[in-house]
Amino acid sequence: MSERMSSEMSVIDDAEARGRTELWPFWRPIYAQGDPLPRFAPPANRASHRFDEGDPLPEEYRALLLRMLRHEGERAGNKSFLGLMATCLDLAEAIFPDATSKLIKAEYLAEELKHAIMFHRLAVGLERDFALKDVPYAHYSFHLPRETWADDAYFHFFVDLNGAFHARDWRESSYVPLAKMSATVERDELGHSEMGYYFLQRICESPRGKAVAQHLLGKWYPAALDMFGRSDSPNVPKFIGWGLKSVGNAEIRDAYKTYVDGKLLALSLDLPDERANRRFL
Amino acid sequence: MAKVPQPDIVEEIRQAYARVGITLDRPATYGTYYRLLCGACGKMVGNVGDRLLPGMAAALVEQQFDLYATGGLGCPCGYQRNITRGLDATRWEAAQRRHGGAA
Repeated sequence: MSERMSSEMSVIDDAEARGRTELWPFWRPIYAQGDPLPRFAPPANRASHRFDEGDPLPEEYRALLLRMLRHEGERAGNKSFLGLMATCLDLAEAIFPDATSKLIKAEYLAEELKHAIMFHRLAVGLERDFALKDVPYAHYSFHLPRETWADDAYFHFFVDLNGAFHARDWRESSYVPLAKMSATVERDELGHSEMGYYFLQRICESPRGKAVAQHLLGKWYPAALDMFGRSDSPNVPKFIGWGLKSVGNAEIRDAYKTYVDGKLLALSLDLPDERANRRFL
Repeated sequence: MAKVPQPDIVEEIRQAYARVGITLDRPATYGTYYRLLCGACGKMVGNVGDRLLPGMAAALVEQQFDLYATGGLGCPCGYQRNITRGLDATRWEAAQRRHGGAA
């Protein structure tokens, strides 16, 4: 890392440290107890690949990596990502219940914009044209209507957690720049999910709030499980073979489901049928 | 990847929400996300994206009938509560009993 880049990051670190409160960042108490997310072991016989920024990349590897980063989306040059962030601001202004929640949401946005800088650097190092590509989020879970605080809480609890699970797997990515930033992204995204969960806890404190949360769980739960894609996706073996993923969609979805089910049951919510309203099995 | 226009889906969303008294605003951000506004007072009541799957918007609004009927969703002005009562009074009354809304 260059001296200039190091200096920039220390400024960001300092800004983050000054933003700490009793609640924020939500990942702190979780990681204080150890790694919250499971490690996904790759196949034992997988060939070992390792590519750093500037290395010539095999064509298939480059295509798969770009495909993965298009799905990830958190790039400063991705207008659609900035648009998604704007929807969060809109909701914070229009439907959030109190000043504390609004401030927490502002911290969330700041942290996502930090990721936008990190992924921008990664994109520039990989393929300059990609850095300014507008890639709307393709999965419907990013487009579900959010009409109440509970909707927004579920969005963060489920969708940011999906990002944390993938980032956990990137710790062992064959693409070195991605592996280097994975721990930060995983930790932050887990924190964003915990933010959503904190809001859900507050909502479920009242019988009326809990009834709304139970009702809306039927909208978000299938979408969350669908986010991992089809269990028989033909591209997955290629991702695994090149060291860009460790396991298939079904395995990571199962681990995710175990994690979220435990958290939802702790709120005394009834779990929906895992096959109900699913689009990608 | 080029941005793919989603006119049919946007129209689906518009019609689904119109049924319960919610207006789909103009695209808020680069044509991907839209604000949902109260059909009576214009207050923002949420947002939605244009990559829902076909048929999904109508199904979601239908599933949320009880929440509009009891004020769990919709505008504080009460417009969606009133609209849903007109759509199906029997179902609306049942929702009040189930969810404790003030009839």
